[in-house]
Amino acid sequence: MARAQVPVLKVAHLKKAYGDHVIVRDFNLEVWPGDAVALTGRNGAGKSTILRCLVGADQPDSGSIRLGGEALRESNPVVRRQLATVIDDLDFFPDLSVVEHLDLLARAHGLPEPEIAVDAILHEVQLVPQSGQLPGTLSSGQRRRLALATAFVRPRQLLVLDEPEQRLDVEGVEWLAGRLLADRKDGLAIVLASHDPYLVEQVATRTVRVGEQ
Amino acid sequence: MSKRSNRPAKPAPKAKATPSAAEPAVETAAAARADEAFETAGEAVVSDAAAQPGDVEAVAPVWEHDLLTVEPEPVWEPDLKALIETWRRGRATRRLSQVLADGYVAVFSVVVILAMIGGAVWRVQADANTCVTGTCQTGRTLLPWVVLFGAFGLTLSVARLFGPVVASAPEGFWLFDAPLRRARLLRSRLVAVLVGVALGVAAVGGLLAALTGYGPREIGEWAAALGLGAAALTAFAALEQTRGRTWLGKLIQWLFGLAAFAALAVMTGVAAGWFGFSVSGGLWTRVVLGVAAGAVVLLAVFAFWASRRLDEIHRARLVSGGSLISGMQGAAFAMDLGLMRDILVERDALAVGQVRGTLGVGQGLMALVWREVQRLWRYPKRLIVLVVSLGVPYAVGALGLEAFNPFVSALILLVAFVPLLNSLRVITRTRGLSRMLPFSNPQQRFALVAVAAFLAVLWAVAASPAFWGLGADHAIAPSEAAIRALITALAGLLAAFRWVTAKAADYSSPMMQTGFGALPPGLMFNLVKGLDVVVVMTGPLLLGWSYWVSVVIGGLVLIGLSGAVNLKEAQQMQQELKEEQERSRGATATKKVIAPPKR
Repeated sequence: MARAQVPVLKVAHLKKAYGDHVIVRDFNLEVWPGDAVALTGRNGAGKSTILRCLVGADQPDSGSIRLGGEALRESNPVVRRQLATVIDDLDFFPDLSVVEHLDLLARAHGLPEPEIAVDAILHEVQLVPQSGQLPGTLSSGQRRRLALATAFVRPRQLLVLDEPEQRLDVEGVEWLAGRLLADRKDGLAIVLASHDPYLVEQVATRTVRVGEQ
Repeated sequence: MSKRSNRPAKPAPKAKATPSAAEPAVETAAAARADEAFETAGEAVVSDAAAQPGDVEAVAPVWEHDLLTVEPEPVWEPDLKALIETWRRGRATRRLSQVLADGYVAVFSVVVILAMIGGAVWRVQADANTCVTGTCQTGRTLLPWVVLFGAFGLTLSVARLFGPVVASAPEGFWLFDAPLRRARLLRSRLVAVLVGVALGVAAVGGLLAALTGYGPREIGEWAAALGLGAAALTAFAALEQTRGRTWLGKLIQWLFGLAAFAALAVMTGVAAGWFGFSVSGGLWTRVVLGVAAGAVVLLAVFAFWASRRLDEIHRARLVSGGSLISGMQGAAFAMDLGLMRDILVERDALAVGQVRGTLGVGQGLMALVWREVQRLWRYPKRLIVLVVSLGVPYAVGALGLEAFNPFVSALILLVAFVPLLNSLRVITRTRGLSRMLPFSNPQQRFALVAVAAFLAVLWAVAASPAFWGLGADHAIAPSEAAIRALITALAGLLAAFRWVTAKAADYSSPMMQTGFGALPPGLMFNLVKGLDVVVVMTGPLLLGWSYWVSVVIGGLVLIGLSGAVNLKEAQQMQQELKEEQERSRGATATKKVIAPPKR
């Protein structure tokens, strides 16, 4: 695969502190198409904080984040089109069913045949029996599957996941690892934080241990 | 067999250890009995061999029988209840007097508000003799009926929403899992709820009757009718709760809603002179007394029946009401009305559970707009308040208060439009979903408000005659009336827009010291969100200024609410630019240092 001229994501000298407590200091990262970077480290090391900065949910105190060579602006439609995220701030419409969420996303992103894409992803995440359910009635594992499905049903160049294995059963983690691996081989750039050695081993091309000097 | 025969047998007298200084000096007799029962239970399952005085070596307890085969002793629920109350009192950190002293500003505010209400009632009572016109008489006669039907419908709705008999989650988990008779623990709660509802609604009814100029006897009659009627409906809701049935309660609730709307329509029609309606005062009095008497009978029947069936209420149903109350309490402490509504919306969705999934229409932004149309088609209930609100400008106009029409109608529209902006609320309360959609913030917000805006225009067209004037004399031209109606509708829509998109108070920011203790700065503004938009947009109309002032203000409000101005991102850009400049300056300086000297 021909190497792109600019990295999908470039983070330089990222610093984030809450009050006097510095969570992340001088964090640098480059992610190219086909890369999968796994952030690992103990609880509270700053993995989620880094991811929240990478997707624009939090603003770093200093440093720069560039997506496709352009400064990251979370509200920029181009950024939103390229960047798919599943972090802790994902919400659902309480009155839309599972299938309607996916259909809305597929249509909003202009997929030519949204019904086929939605059907395929519903089968993949095994939520076909729950397709008519409202999100409030789903179990925590099913909600996690729906969250992952919202990231997979739409076009993306960079996928950012915060502990995607959470609440998934063993089969679910295996499916997720296979899916991420396939996407990575297709050229998708992935940044994920995880505590699951299996997922990291299967998917990651690089591992960054956060919180260790 | 008497009820008391179910009590556990009293244990034989035995020497009790002297209480330590840390133990409460005064203990209720019931709690002492319960403690003894616990000790007895302990002795029943543990061998004395484990507690021989003088033993130095630890001896493993020898169980006389395992818990699977032991015959449980019957529980005497009143003792259990007394024990729980003792524990609760023992864990209270402040007395009621201390709470009131700490919240002296709140107490002072309540006193001031009561004084204001008292003053208003005094003035109305003093002016009661001046109410001689047909409009005023009609208003006095029919307005309490509108309130009565509305209050009954609302009471039934709230009672069904919460239970009305509730238990907290810990009670549900720890207490109601035990083989005890729930009715004995729940009966006093039912009575407390009924008394609370009766007194609360009676106070509201009495106040309203006083404000409409009735004398003391009529005030008492209206208060009794409303209070007893509301209590009877709550008892009915409790009975339905024991049956696990909802359709009948819903039906009655709808009937009361329709009756309230019909009374409002009659009041408006009579006041506007569209048709006549007159009933003698004596007949009205008899009807009100009849309602009160009927309510007493129904209250007694339903309360007795419900109390007999309290054991039948499912634990999940008891606990869900308790969880809802604790969730609402949490949101209320944070004064976050938006969160309170979110909790109710989530609960509503849980009750629906499953829907027939419908495929969307269109692509891009149009997919969002069409999804809003589909939502409205699926949940037409959300339109009810908007439809009812159409009667408000006509009612206000009929009462001769045209000047206040924009303000009053916009306030009602604020309430009416909020249910139509649920998606906007979800997309703005957390950014995760918004980030998923490939549109800018203004694009998303305008798409999600488009259907409501269309309905606002329809409302303005339908309400224009009320703004023009219901009588023969018209102070303004029809075109100006249409513009006023449109401004009013947009004021209500933008107020709802602001209400659903306003951020909750930030408790991580530095606090302000107030009479209530430390509060985050945005907390007080949170309470008036939406209302501020109504005031600034309809204020110019009230003051008689050109409607263009309202239009310009509305435009500015719209820009502010659209999310087009993102201060955080502007700050971030500025920060990055500054860092870039510093880095380039540093690079230049470094070059200067390492540059070789010229020879």
